[in-house]
Amino acid sequence: MHELSVALGLIEGIQNSAARDGFERVLAVHVRVGALSGIAPDALRFSWKLASAGTLAADSMLKIVDVPLVVYCERCACERTPRPASGLICPECASACPTIVRGRDLQLVAVEVPE
Amino acid sequence: MKYRVVSIEQSILRKNDALADGLRARFAASGTLVVNLLSSPGSGKTTLLQQTLARLSGRRRVGALVGDQATDNDARRLAESGAPVRQITTAAECRLDADMIGRALERWEPGRLDALFIENVGNLICPAEYDLGEDLRVVVFSVTEGEDKPLKYPLAFNTAQLAVITKIDIADAVGFDRDAAYASIGQVNPGISILETSARTGAGMDGWIALLETQIERKTSARALSVR
Repeated sequence: MHELSVALGLIEGIQNSAARDGFERVLAVHVRVGALSGIAPDALRFSWKLASAGTLAADSMLKIVDVPLVVYCERCACERTPRPASGLICPECASACPTIVRGRDLQLVAVEVPE
Repeated sequence: MKYRVVSIEQSILRKNDALADGLRARFAASGTLVVNLLSSPGSGKTTLLQQTLARLSGRRRVGALVGDQATDNDARRLAESGAPVRQITTAAECRLDADMIGRALERWEPGRLDALFIENVGNLICPAEYDLGEDLRVVVFSVTEGEDKPLKYPLAFNTAQLAVITKIDIADAVGFDRDAAYASIGQVNPGISILETSARTGAGMDGWIALLETQIERKTSARALSVR
């Protein structure tokens, strides 16, 4: 629901990188979006068109990598992916796993820029 | 087209997190306890806060920032308590962020506060991601909402230190299953404290106020120590 402000945050991050890394145009943007981030990939793609228009990233492709929710199960002593909409419950032993290892990601990973 | 890959690896929330750290430093200096209230629409957040401000106002300097997508009805309701209240209209935005809090504080002069309550936009998804520099994140959840809500919105419950179950006076009438609710809260956050309140009958309000008083004392004395 705050995909547009996330898209604007991406543009800002890219602009900072452009000044630092010396590029003027962006062809594609790689982002990681966690299952718990509250971000819907389709809405982010839609917002991306609006947010990038008229910037160095205009017409660039947004490449989204979905990161599934991963929790640490104390009882099994390993990482587990809970079943959808089951909260933070270990799918094997059904114990509560409040330690979220991955899935909150909202990360600007990299950009592809012309040689 | 030939291209090269430039690695950036930066959280999109980095700017918010940095601004939230700035707010935390500012509130540490003023010894102000900051409480961020998260809930779905209709949980009774505003009523709980209204009673809270009314009860604390005489003894403590308390104020509130209220986020709403539209209307200042909640802010006006809260201002009836006599405490300083400021509205943040978020329009299309579904949550408050640290920048909105910072900008609201620039134009607001409530004087030094013992406690600042932030009533977030009614939404259990987006606000969970945004650190506002708070000391205490409270998730408010009413007996009418379905006992499995914590499982549907795990991050809000996982990142809160306290869950307040509201409208407890009508629990029996709506068939609230207390054991199921506690179990689902425990499944996403076993360490969380849980309080039951009714702002209408006053049930549980003493415990909630006592908890806030303890937190206020702790924050004020931390400031006194750092000033000395």
